Amino acid sequence: MRSLLRQLFYLGRRGRFDAELDKEVEFHIQTRAEELQEAGLTPAAALAQARREFGSGARMREESRAAWQWRWVEDLFADLRYAARSLRRNPGFAITAIACLTLGIGANTTMFSITKEVLFSRPSVRAPETMVHMEIGGNSHAPIREFRFLRDSHFFEALAGENEEQEVNWRHAGATERLHGVRVSDNFFAVTGIPVALGRPIQAGEETAAVLSHDLWERRMGADPAVVGGTMVLDGRVYTIAGVLPRDHRTLLGFGFAPDLYLTVPGEGGLLALFARLPDGMTRHVAIEKLRAACAALDRAYPDPDHKWVENIRVSAVAGVARVRGDEKVMVVAAFFGVLMVVVGLVLGIACANVASLLLARASSRSQELAIRLSIGAGRGRLVRQLLAESLLLALAGMAGGLGVNVALTAFLSRIRLPLPLPFQFLIEPDWTLLAYAGAVALGTCLVAGLLPAIQSVRSALQAALSRHEPRSRTRLRNALVAGQLAVSTVLLCAGLLFLRNLMQSYRMSPGFDVAQTMWSQMRVVPEAYKEPAKLRALAEAGLERVRGLPGVESAALARVVPLNINLRMGVSVRTDVSGRPVHIQYNLNYVTPDYFRTMGIPLVRGREFLAADRAGAPAVVIVNETVARALFGQTDPIGHYIRFDWGPSQVVGVARNSKYFTLGEESAMAIYEPYSRMSEHRADVQFLIRSKGRPEGLTAAVNAALGRLDPTAALETKPMSQALVFALLPSRFGGAVLGSMGLLGLGLASIGLYGVLLYSVSRRTREIGVRVAIGASPRNVLWLVLRHSFGLVGVGLAIGIALGVLAVKPLALFLIPEVNASGAGNFLVVGASMCAIALLATLSPVVRALRVDPVAALRQE
Amino acid sequence: MSRTDALQGSLDLLVLKILSRRGPLHGYAIMTAIEEISSDVLRVEEGSLYPALHRMEETGLVRAKWVEKESGRRARSYELTAQGRKQLESEEARWVAVTGAVQRVLRLA
Repeated sequence: MRSLLRQLFYLGRRGRFDAELDKEVEFHIQTRAEELQEAGLTPAAALAQARREFGSGARMREESRAAWQWRWVEDLFADLRYAARSLRRNPGFAITAIACLTLGIGANTTMFSITKEVLFSRPSVRAPETMVHMEIGGNSHAPIREFRFLRDSHFFEALAGENEEQEVNWRHAGATERLHGVRVSDNFFAVTGIPVALGRPIQAGEETAAVLSHDLWERRMGADPAVVGGTMVLDGRVYTIAGVLPRDHRTLLGFGFAPDLYLTVPGEGGLLALFARLPDGMTRHVAIEKLRAACAALDRAYPDPDHKWVENIRVSAVAGVARVRGDEKVMVVAAFFGVLMVVVGLVLGIACANVASLLLARASSRSQELAIRLSIGAGRGRLVRQLLAESLLLALAGMAGGLGVNVALTAFLSRIRLPLPLPFQFLIEPDWTLLAYAGAVALGTCLVAGLLPAIQSVRSALQAALSRHEPRSRTRLRNALVAGQLAVSTVLLCAGLLFLRNLMQSYRMSPGFDVAQTMWSQMRVVPEAYKEPAKLRALAEAGLERVRGLPGVESAALARVVPLNINLRMGVSVRTDVSGRPVHIQYNLNYVTPDYFRTMGIPLVRGREFLAADRAGAPAVVIVNETVARALFGQTDPIGHYIRFDWGPSQVVGVARNSKYFTLGEESAMAIYEPYSRMSEHRADVQFLIRSKGRPEGLTAAVNAALGRLDPTAALETKPMSQALVFALLPSRFGGAVLGSMGLLGLGLASIGLYGVLLYSVSRRTREIGVRVAIGASPRNVLWLVLRHSFGLVGVGLAIGIALGVLAVKPLALFLIPEVNASGAGNFLVVGASMCAIALLATLSPVVRALRVDPVAALRQE
Repeated sequence: MSRTDALQGSLDLLVLKILSRRGPLHGYAIMTAIEEISSDVLRVEEGSLYPALHRMEETGLVRAKWVEKESGRRARSYELTAQGRKQLESEEARWVAVTGAVQRVLRLA
């Protein structure tokens, strides 16, 4: 240990050490010279003899120094300096290699950052390891009364509740806007320890307080610190703005969920999800037992014959790996990101192969130098280490560039608000884990890209220098690298092309209803003002009348569900009057007014739309889609027949053409429509669907004005249907964008590699080409010769790649819409053709150059 | 005949012994001491002396410092450490054992 310290100490004072050693040697020589002088020699002769006796100082100095050196660190620095010099002398090579690595490492680390943020984000609470999420009675949320019982019984040190799916209407400056909020119990901030940037958190006892998100404060309040302590009108009530959250706030829900504000729970109604802080050392098992006891007490206090809170209890972690492992839905997302990581890993692999073949090519030009060093005694391991130092330098430069790409990309991504019904925003910040990961990737890259070429070059250096001929093993390695690169990029290109086609198809694809001329206007009223359903119904009908009266509106209707955004699924057993057998069906349910099908452009293949007469109290009627008609009635015309549900029979009055109800990828789903007026759900929102005569954008203002006048406290959002479908298209858009760009990136990298290799191999054959031309070969022969070699390479790579590609795209079919055939031959043909085209381009330049070579010069060239 | 062969890698042992008997010395003095005491049978190459001294300093067997000589020049003087003393004991014992064994073989073989 002490010698280690001494060695470290030495590293710092190397210059001084050399000077001191010199002085020591000088003293020795002087003393000997004095002795010789006393023996009778002249001073000059004595000095000369003393020096002669001492001998060559170089070896002695080196050995003395060696006693102190930390050998391999010194060597490493020397190697790095040498490598830097030689890279500076070959800027083209260096830039190409560093560019490849930058792209590969950049893509890889960016995907790592995104994955880490989406799956493993740490909520901004104090000590998230001690917080748990509790579900009782099989429900995700518990009513307030039960929450208060559990909290006050102090089974747990601290219990807080929150409900994240809340919307509120914010009235300000004469306009009403819909905000997404999280309703929390008054002890929520105290229990979780969520920090605020301005003002203070919501405190115990407060009934109307709110804490704003940083984004809302910046965007809509101009980042004015004076709003803290002021008020805002939410759902008709006045709330105090207690504080503003910091910019890097992350919710307990995670996944980038970014609500606009936190606010208190209103009065008695409502549900809360339970979060508890466990005391130090309490494991989840103990917590579950305590919860069980607590729920048993709860059941005793509020007995309910149908439902017991003590059943189906779950306690899950709130952050980190434990949270991912505990939830199946999260595992699916995790699997998706796993696929993406593999894809970028492949891209990085291609970049490595590129750099490896570049290094191999370069090593050939240094074979003479290596041979000389080997012959004067350098160890093979030492030379390999030196070559590795070069790839280490490249890898470090690539890492720096890659991190730059990462930071730029993630900063850009963090600014985007995803177009989902709930507000999501990535908050990706670089931290030490990113650096560690990038370092590991860079090191791995250095080894993968550099080790094999280094070993190869050294092994064949002597042989190469002697025979001027590239050893076959190295050629084989390089060819293998290029073929491998081509194979991997072929696979990537297949997947990428597939997703791009999917993307284009889904743009062109009709979801079964009209997207060009329809609009969707979503109105949300203040729930407290509309406690009776009749009031809301009256409002909705008045709105419908007004909208229908607008010029430019062809028709309008109301619907409970707007397709491709949310859905209502029912799974029931029904009987028909045609066959008494019970059939279990799962269908999408929607409540619609008359004119719905006309407005949406969904043709009715049989029967009629709903009429005003089909309301509550009248005989029950339904409209079914073709799939249901076929399933329940076969070839018979269902019109006039009855479907017997659990709650009574309904007569079928119409059959609608199939369309898409929840995702674009579904096929022949079932759907049943019921009249809007029969809807018994107590809701606070109304969805208006409008068909315009011309372009829908022109009507937005008019619709907003007409509906806005009905109730100024209601929030209104109107948009053309094409914009509303963004959420439905999101997965395929995201997949298409990522995989498509990865495919192109991989192709680009492979092209660079292919170009470099072909260029180099042709230049090595210049002499041979010169000989051939001299003895009479025509340019066409030479061309054919070279093309044959490169196409042989490309052929092998393509064959392997397409074989792998066929296997690889099968699991991807899950993510595609049915109209796109994953295993279609067309896809592979396109990929093969483009690879051949690139190979042709990559070969032509070196060949043309080779042909222009003067045969005499080629013969003389060595 | 090459006189240096006689040293047989026992340079370290000799240096340690000299330093233990004669106190702190600089490199030249150590060299002349060895040659003197062995009546010139053993001659130390400067090229091996200084590396050996530095090696021993690095491992902690000797301690070095610059001293002012009367002539006004500065010399690097080496001194035995406690660890060096222990090493000397064991090395000496080993040497005696080995040479004793070699002598026995030569006599009785």
